[in-house]
Amino acid sequence: MLDVLTDHWSEFSSGFWVTVRIVVVSFGIAMVVGTLVAALRIAPVKWLQRIGGVYVEIFRNIPLLVLLFISYAGLRRADVNINAWVAGTGSLGLYTAAYVAEALRSGVFSVGKGQIEASLSLGFSYAETLRRIVLPQAFRTVISPLGSLTIAMIKNSAIIGVSLLALPDLLKQARIVQARTFQTDETFFWAAVGYLILTGTVTLIIRNLERRFAIRR
Amino acid sequence: MNYLFDPDNWEWLTTGNNVRFILEGFLINLEIALVSMVFALILGLALALLRLSRVKPVSVLAGGWIDLFRNLPLIFLILYFALGLPSSWKQAWEDAMPSWAPEAFQSGLVLGALLGLVLYNSAVLAEIMRAGILSLPKGQGEAASALGMTYRQSLYHVILPQGLRRMVPATVSQLITLNKDTTLVSIIAITEVMRRARIVTASNFFTVVEAPILHVFIFVGLLFVIVNFSLSRLSRRLELRERARTGTKLKPARSLEDQVIVD
Repeated sequence: MLDVLTDHWSEFSSGFWVTVRIVVVSFGIAMVVGTLVAALRIAPVKWLQRIGGVYVEIFRNIPLLVLLFISYAGLRRADVNINAWVAGTGSLGLYTAAYVAEALRSGVFSVGKGQIEASLSLGFSYAETLRRIVLPQAFRTVISPLGSLTIAMIKNSAIIGVSLLALPDLLKQARIVQARTFQTDETFFWAAVGYLILTGTVTLIIRNLERRFAIRR
Repeated sequence: MNYLFDPDNWEWLTTGNNVRFILEGFLINLEIALVSMVFALILGLALALLRLSRVKPVSVLAGGWIDLFRNLPLIFLILYFALGLPSSWKQAWEDAMPSWAPEAFQSGLVLGALLGLVLYNSAVLAEIMRAGILSLPKGQGEAASALGMTYRQSLYHVILPQGLRRMVPATVSQLITLNKDTTLVSIIAITEVMRRARIVTASNFFTVVEAPILHVFIFVGLLFVIVNFSLSRLSRRLELRERARTGTKLKPARSLEDQVIVD
């Protein structure tokens, strides 16, 4: 059992860190784009809300694998020179951003309407109200949904490696080791350990943050 | 942009059998999703009940099983079962499949795909059901036992009927995720919509009417958006109705993509 891991340590560990890098980069993209889309969805202008809504409905309902095909093979055929890293992390980031936007939006709505009205009547502008009153509180209620999304993102990152993009992430490396050794159970066992370490770590971090900051409404 | 909207690049939609070929593939995806959903619901309910069992070792074991399969990537499970299942099992599956079953289910490959989809989704659904059951006020169970019902009686007559009602919208949401996830079975060489879309792009490569990958997969994406958008509307309607009826809000179950949307 152990010898598969020790013999192919370099494959497993490099795959593990590639997965970590994919998740970290995609998480950054998802947070930035997700915040922007959430801002659109709660904007006081109707057509901005609509744009945000269309973004969410498209990216939430399309399979990630289809996004990967469009952004990688599709764009390359259209002579856009996009590399696998940009296409992979970009697709995963944009896909998750739709969920992030929804999480942030419901977080914003969880802040009482009275608070917003009070702050507006105190002379805060819309932007100030958002920045000083709503967002600090909203952020505390979205910790746990964002945690769930990060875990979902770790799991979804495995799709990038085995799709046509073939980034050498943990699952891709496990597949290479499996093809070389034919020890399917052992190889997949160690890959599973890798993924459980990642999802477990995020679960622990989230639980910790929740204990410290979260408010249940 | 010119490339995207150039009518020449969309001509494949009207020539040959392209669209029909892709739509038939999409139907395979929906079939796989539906079959997996049915089995995942049955297994998920069993897991949720085991998880809520008052016998400690049973509930701990069920919890471990649920957490294991919920925290592994679905594509990992599908690949593992596709590569790791003994070929005698796949053979047995092919022999056991009646001839009236849809074509996609005739191949032994689909066994690995179904196993992965069912095990993963049953773990997720078990968590949804548990959240639904736990969201019931405690008084319900207490009242049942005060009326002299045994634990089992209160479960079947009081807790489950109400708890399961509450999980209907979340289950429809999970069906959306499952629908999207069926594209993953293309990786183990089942010719569903993704494979068929690639066949369309490849077979039209040297002909006059080209089917560019970009356009074909935008079309495939639209198919999913249409079906899943309708499902999400349905889920929302059900949820609003349920909330109006009971005046409660479902607790979001953790580690679910779609559970985030509860407002």
